[in-house]
Amino acid sequence: MEPQLPAVATAVALPFVAAALTPLLYRFVGEAVGYFGAAIAGLSFVLVVSQVGTEGTVSVQWIPSLEVAVRFHVDGLALLFGMLASGIGVLIFAYSAGYMQGKPNLARFYMTLLGFMGSILGVAFAADLVVLFLFWELTSVCSFVLIGYHTDDDESRYSARMAMLVTVGGGLCLLAGLLVLAAAAEMAGVEAFNLAAMLADSASVAAQLKEVGLFVPALVLVTIAAAAKSAQVPLYFWLPRAMVAPTPVSAFLHSATMVKVGVYALGRFRPLFHGVEWTLLVATLGLATMTVGAVLAVRARDIKELLAYSTASHLGLMVAGFGFQTHYGADAGVFHLLNHALFKAALFLVAGIVTHQVGTRNVEELGGLARDLPVTAAITGVAALSMAGIPPFNGFYSKELLFEAAWETAVANGDLAWLYPATAALASVFTVLYSLRFLWLFLGDRPDSVGSVSRPSLALLAPPAVLAALVAVLSVAPHLGIEFVVQDAASATAVEPVEVHAALPLSVSGPALMSLGAIAVGVAIFPAYGRLQGRLDAAHGATTRLHPTVLYGRVLTATDEASVRLSGFVHNGLIRTYAWWTLLAACGLVLAGYVTAAVGLPTPLAVETSVAMVLVLAVSVLSAVAVAATDTHVTGVLTLGILGFMVAIFYILASGPDLALTQLVVETLLLLIFLLALEEMPAFYGELEWDVAAKDAALSIAVGVTAFVSVLLTAPSGDGGLTETAGEYVERAVPDGGGTNVVNVILTDFRAFDTLGESIVIVLAALSVLVLLAMRTRGETQ
Amino acid sequence: MRLSESHTDEPNHEAAVRRWATVTTTIMRTTARVVVPIILVVSISLFLQGHNYPGGGFIGGVLTVAAFTLVYVAYGLDYLEVGVLNRDVDYSAGIYEHRTVSAYRRLFIFGLAVTVGSGLGALLFGEQFLSQDYTYVHLPLFGEVELASALVFDLGIFCVVVGGLLLIFSVVGAE
Repeated sequence: MEPQLPAVATAVALPFVAAALTPLLYRFVGEAVGYFGAAIAGLSFVLVVSQVGTEGTVSVQWIPSLEVAVRFHVDGLALLFGMLASGIGVLIFAYSAGYMQGKPNLARFYMTLLGFMGSILGVAFAADLVVLFLFWELTSVCSFVLIGYHTDDDESRYSARMAMLVTVGGGLCLLAGLLVLAAAAEMAGVEAFNLAAMLADSASVAAQLKEVGLFVPALVLVTIAAAAKSAQVPLYFWLPRAMVAPTPVSAFLHSATMVKVGVYALGRFRPLFHGVEWTLLVATLGLATMTVGAVLAVRARDIKELLAYSTASHLGLMVAGFGFQTHYGADAGVFHLLNHALFKAALFLVAGIVTHQVGTRNVEELGGLARDLPVTAAITGVAALSMAGIPPFNGFYSKELLFEAAWETAVANGDLAWLYPATAALASVFTVLYSLRFLWLFLGDRPDSVGSVSRPSLALLAPPAVLAALVAVLSVAPHLGIEFVVQDAASATAVEPVEVHAALPLSVSGPALMSLGAIAVGVAIFPAYGRLQGRLDAAHGATTRLHPTVLYGRVLTATDEASVRLSGFVHNGLIRTYAWWTLLAACGLVLAGYVTAAVGLPTPLAVETSVAMVLVLAVSVLSAVAVAATDTHVTGVLTLGILGFMVAIFYILASGPDLALTQLVVETLLLLIFLLALEEMPAFYGELEWDVAAKDAALSIAVGVTAFVSVLLTAPSGDGGLTETAGEYVERAVPDGGGTNVVNVILTDFRAFDTLGESIVIVLAALSVLVLLAMRTRGETQ
Repeated sequence: MRLSESHTDEPNHEAAVRRWATVTTTIMRTTARVVVPIILVVSISLFLQGHNYPGGGFIGGVLTVAAFTLVYVAYGLDYLEVGVLNRDVDYSAGIYEHRTVSAYRRLFIFGLAVTVGSGLGALLFGEQFLSQDYTYVHLPLFGEVELASALVFDLGIFCVVVGGLLLIFSVVGAE
């Protein structure tokens, strides 16, 4: 069945429209605007669910000349991701309404959250590379704003900037990768930016990529982008930092949806890049992250930090799943996408409740909360056991699928490939450990430092309860989820037909033994958790130099220092320096453009030049020399004026009345402005300094050469008649534009967009003057 | 800023105008008096005839700016308020709150709105953004007159140029 464009487009656009209305609505209803967000998310959710079972691409033209369109592709994977974003969105908005009570800047908070949800839905359904990239970057921007929610907190700002640099840096890699893909697609005869068509014809696009030798670069670029977004080794370090955001944000962005965008992209591109290189890169990356994340989660002392590292670890699991070539891999990736979103969002919301009710996030100060928070404890029980991968919870099924994929790959390839299942099993041991530790917040001994704990309100309790209920349903009857959407979603990421199955293993097999072993070892080590943490701390301390955070800090400091040094040259507060560098850079860029385009210099057309014109040009050359030679401002201004008016006369002689008029008017205005400023300037120029003069002479020559070459290149060549473009403008001016002044018709009609841009430049200049001067007098200097 | 500060102790604005008069010469002021109306008329005619003869929004705008700058140089910023509109000027407020300056600011915002609006207007008729159209109407006395939607667009450009440049001159000039 074909999907309906209005439904999909509305689901994506609705949150953006709502985001625009939020500040206005906030004035009237105040904090209840959270429920408005929940309603919008609900609407989007219903619209997405209404498309379940459909598959196909719908599009509206956007930039037809570049084959860019607002194109949405609906299939199982997109629907699964869309449902997660909007469905969990409903719960998050409802939870925020309770959790964020009395907090500042709520209008901005909800606005960004809504905008984020729209962007995520956009990523889910986008089937055009340009649109995909736009939505992808929008999620990073929203995440930046939300992490920096506490704008006056240094750590908050630092973390927001770190997340922005890493994810947007990854986004640049994505842009490069997508451009490579678009070029290859065009060569393969597929519409350049049409992702859906590209995937439908993935074999020929991949073949084309290999032919031009860009297969591996494109693969690496897309993987780096996904790794930055989905917190893979070694770019995971921003995710725990992002936990300074309010808990609903952590639950929504940094566990359930945004960080899964990278995983989702890998799933999308999997059919295209499928191959040995893909497994080697992606599966290895995923398993490494899975292990590192799990180990760091065991070391964590803060419950949100623990959950953050655990999220990175589980994202690694999904990435590894997509990395394996067997269909089990696709099954594992997609099914875990769903399972993880459910149990991890629930756990984050639980962490929020604990923080809200107890007032601390330190693991060591928490324990035995089951008596105070029985419902929360029950929710945690379900979600944490699912996270640990204990049968018969749903987390077990998807992890078992990963084990099967790893096992099958190892059996097929032998030797070093056995490292895959071994690493997966090792990571699972640590997963069991930290899951149990989280559960022990509610069991175990209750420290005395925990005072009386009140029960959370229904608004806080209901969202995680719904999620835990869904986890329970999927645990008891996994086939419901599989039949509803997981099966279709896995097919979209796989090359061969897939049959997702989820059941308890009834016979002895390699994967089953891996699961059993991991759980047994995890439970056996758990009593020694404290000692293990000590060992890990020691190892952590010994390897400080290698930590990504340290490297990140070093890169940042080096960049800072370099820019300080550079700004001493370019940015020294003297306007002449600014002009010097700006002009030089402009000339350099223009000349470099001519050189790379390898344009030959045309021989100028010899046209008979009238005596009047020669005279005018001679006078202007003389006045130009006089400008340079004069030593007072008054003569300088006057000779400059002569030069300007000579140019205007030249325009008249060259039959360009509009240009001449403009030149005359501007020249008059300039004279007036000089009159205004003349009084404030020193009457005489200072002493001539030879080094400054030499520098300026060099610049003058550069500008002159650039202008001369440009004039030569743009001058009409050939028989001296009108060029094709000019001829068409002249022909069309009267019938299409209704005006006989071709220049003005071009300005207001044919190329009105350029004119609009120029008027915006004037507005910007005026605003900058206003802002700069106003800020200076207020003493707002940073 | 220097100018408005020097006026804070001057309650009588007639005197303020007179004080400015000592900065410029009688020749300057008399010339301005004669020339400014002519410049304004020429600039409007250049603006209106732009579609068929040399001229247009930008040229007309810059010429208008020249006229106002001439007034500014000859009589000072407050002249439009005090001398023409006969209103009081609050000297204690900074240059950014000056009524003339905020009028300039409103003018270029209005201009930008007109420009973009005329572009969006085309969308209502199912045309592409910023496409223009024209028609002929018959008016008594004038005969056949061409009405081009481009004139609306040009009006926006005119306002942006006038408002933007005058704002820059008055604010920078006050420094």
